[in-house]
Amino acid sequence: MAQPEPYQNRIELLQGTLDMLILRTLQWGPCHGHGIGLAIRASSADVLQVEHGSLYPALHRLRREGWIASEWKITQNKQRARYYRLTAKGRKRLAAEESRWDRMVAAIARVMRPA
Amino acid sequence: MRLWPWLKRRSRENSELDEEIRFHLLQEAQLRIDRGEPPDAARRSALRDFGNVTLAAELTRQMWGWSALERAAQDLRFAARMMRRSPAFTAVALAALALGIGATTAMFSVVNAVLLRPLPFPDAGRLVMVWERPPEGGLTNVVQTQNFFDWRKRNRSFENIAALFRLPANLESEGDPVQVPGLRVTAGFFEILGTPPLLGRTIRPEDDVTGGPGVVVLSHGLWQRRFGSRQETIGRKMIVDGSAREVIGVMPPGFAFPAIPRVDLYLPMQIHPSEALLDGRNYSTVARLRRNTSLADAAADMRAVAAQTARERPDMNAKWSATVVPLLEQTVGDTRTTLLVLLGAVAFVLLIACANVSNLLLMRANARRREIAVRAALGAGRWRLFHQLAMESLLLALAGGFAGFLLAWWGVPAVRTLLPATFPRAGEIEVDRGVLAFTLLVSVACGLFFGIFPALQVDRGRLGEGLRAGGRYGSAAHRSLRNLLVVTEVSLAVLLVVGAGLMLRSFVLLHEVDPGFRPERLLTLRMMLFPQASSFAQLLERRAALVAGMLERIRALPQVESAASIHMLPLTGLQSGTWYYRADRPAPPPGDMSGGDVSVVSDDYFRTMGIPLLAGREFDLRDRRGSPHVALLNQAAARANFPGENPIGKRVKVTWSMGPEEVEIVGLAADIRHNALDATPEPCLFLPHAQQPSGFVSLVVRTRAQSLSAVSAVKEQIRAAAPHQGAQEIETMEDVVSASIARPRLDVAILGVFGLLALALAALGIYAVVSYSVEQRTREMGIRLALGAAPRSIRRMVLREGLLLALAGIGAGLAAALGLTRYLASLLYAIRPTDALVYAAVSAVLAAAIAGCFVPARRATRVDPAVVLREE
Repeated sequence: MAQPEPYQNRIELLQGTLDMLILRTLQWGPCHGHGIGLAIRASSADVLQVEHGSLYPALHRLRREGWIASEWKITQNKQRARYYRLTAKGRKRLAAEESRWDRMVAAIARVMRPA
Repeated sequence: MRLWPWLKRRSRENSELDEEIRFHLLQEAQLRIDRGEPPDAARRSALRDFGNVTLAAELTRQMWGWSALERAAQDLRFAARMMRRSPAFTAVALAALALGIGATTAMFSVVNAVLLRPLPFPDAGRLVMVWERPPEGGLTNVVQTQNFFDWRKRNRSFENIAALFRLPANLESEGDPVQVPGLRVTAGFFEILGTPPLLGRTIRPEDDVTGGPGVVVLSHGLWQRRFGSRQETIGRKMIVDGSAREVIGVMPPGFAFPAIPRVDLYLPMQIHPSEALLDGRNYSTVARLRRNTSLADAAADMRAVAAQTARERPDMNAKWSATVVPLLEQTVGDTRTTLLVLLGAVAFVLLIACANVSNLLLMRANARRREIAVRAALGAGRWRLFHQLAMESLLLALAGGFAGFLLAWWGVPAVRTLLPATFPRAGEIEVDRGVLAFTLLVSVACGLFFGIFPALQVDRGRLGEGLRAGGRYGSAAHRSLRNLLVVTEVSLAVLLVVGAGLMLRSFVLLHEVDPGFRPERLLTLRMMLFPQASSFAQLLERRAALVAGMLERIRALPQVESAASIHMLPLTGLQSGTWYYRADRPAPPPGDMSGGDVSVVSDDYFRTMGIPLLAGREFDLRDRRGSPHVALLNQAAARANFPGENPIGKRVKVTWSMGPEEVEIVGLAADIRHNALDATPEPCLFLPHAQQPSGFVSLVVRTRAQSLSAVSAVKEQIRAAAPHQGAQEIETMEDVVSASIARPRLDVAILGVFGLLALALAALGIYAVVSYSVEQRTREMGIRLALGAAPRSIRRMVLREGLLLALAGIGAGLAAALGLTRYLASLLYAIRPTDALVYAAVSAVLAAAIAGCFVPARRATRVDPAVVLREE
């Protein structure tokens, strides 16, 4: 099997952070899978690149947890697409994830740049 | 969860996921086209960016949480497709499994019914038989009447204890008297077993007193035959042994006292209390342990009770004790050993079948390496591949198990009809739900066993290799595993063939044992005499007269050479015994009484049976009631009582129908095998029927032509001499001899079948491995041939490979056989488990192995070098 090309200026996503990024992205409104991937890439100024294939298992897992819901809609280009949106439960989850993330970043920062 | 809505939702989810991914790829491609990439390249890079589509979809489906079941179903479908695609492989594997599992299931259903299931009575674990224990020789002995009374009164271990005595019963109807097996029982017998009657009632204490009512309880079979299953049978009278008895009950179908099956009617024992002290040892007993009384407690209790009776009546009981045996153990007897040996043998057959299938799967896994590599490249995870291979094995195992179960389902009833009449619990043998569960368990275990090796070969690291090599060359690890399996198969087959060979040889020896008499053209009839008499002396007189009358008429028949009687026919498992000692010596003290077997025979018995008379004379018409009492000895009895002396003219004191009396030895007869063909002759004292008549009589009639043709004439003469006398078990002596070794014959047949099966499977295993290896090395062979190798040397090379495997297996098998066949020792007659015959058995295996290698060896020499080299 071919070895995957080495990542260059991209950062591999930390375990578990993809969930948070998806929830965060959906805060702005419902979106389909492809859009979510684009949004993550764009809002991280192309640094965070989600391998598209891994997006869908994550989306379906979140849906099963009840943090997001999905429905089929027609896009501007008159195509059928599955749109995901944040649920109330998901909003709570996002808040929890955000505060956890903040604590972790602060902790790592203290380790890396001791005052 | 309902299945149909679930499936509908499932399929919708699947198509939606497909659509979602398609949409994603379209969007991505569109994005790239908008950026200016050419459409084709855009689509390709969108696909590449997405990664492994199948794997992503698979991972996504896993997130739905219910895909394990679906995955199993999918893999099962795939496995079924694979099975259909390689019918030869499937057929061979299924046949091996069906035979292995079928034989195991059939064997287990016998073991289950005979050894494992409780006897068909409520709380059957508490049922025991209580025996007297003689001072020497044997652990169990029938019980003396007064002892039984004392036991019943004094024991603290049993809820109840009953005595029973097997006695043929004479039935008359429409002038055709017959005798059927009957059982005399004391009150409590039916309560102890706990089976209620189908109709009416059973025998109560008020029935079981001297002079009590004439009542009878019928078996279901006799009720059907005699009374056409009519409800109004209860209260009807029937003539049993010459007197009318009232039918008070009918037992349900299948009811039997397991240690004495095939009883047609039950009569109350009605022991005369005054005779209890004088009686000999006659009765079997059955008892029900009190709740919370253990077998050991009961045995200790009975030993104490027996010690007391020994102190009270030393002349009868000195040094005698008592013993308690669970009814199940008593019923099963030594069949347990046989069954366990056969179960072990069939387990080996199954193991061989599994090793075979495992080998086939390994070979196929090798051939499928390319397919598996491709599947891995397309996104099948390692677990998923493992799962899929495991599913294939499981499907194979379950299909094989199903076929095996069907084989057992059809086979077991057939086997049941082949069982000898003495086989314990034969009627209970069936393929029931327990057996089905066992088959299922065995199938799954087999699937895991033979599936694990191929499945473990799924190794991601080596999968890439599979693609590159194009699946042509088997790995070395594979090959040694396969070889190991074949060696195991061969060694197990050697073990089984050696076992079967030993049994066969033992059986042939047993079959050739000279019984000591000439069984050909000898007709035998068994009967119980039941003359009406007002006194014991008159009873004896009438018994003597009855037999004399019958013999006189039968001897007058033109088709009869000679005729005689013996009270218990040789090789039927029946014999009586008593105490006797030399009259010229003082009586031995109680507990040290000498004695032995006793046979009561008519005049002309030894000539009729063809037993050589070594000295003196046999009984003749001079030996009547009133004339001096006489006896004969066999060689063993002469050796035991008159070592180095001529016994003729000597006298012994014997206790038989009347107290101790002196008899004169008038003759010496050669030993015969009375008890069993494989038992050394016991000392035996012969008494003349005319002087010491027994109620048990077997007529032996030497005919001039084929003996069964004389049956009706003989029966007619019996009718003329004794109009009410029926007979039972009319058969030729050759059949009696044959029936006495029916068990070893059955053992040998079953073990022989298992051995052949094992041999065939092992040969198949060697054949498969060698031919596969030839196939793998086609290119090598082609090159060798092209370089000028002689076909002969190629053939030799292939044969050597197969023979090496066979030899390794034979070596291991012989070592195992030496270790294991000693468990057969108790089943073998006159040979040791290290008989030279093993060599013959091994050469048979070797021949099979060579046959297995020969075909692929020939194929190897037919390789066309040009074709092979072009393939590269």
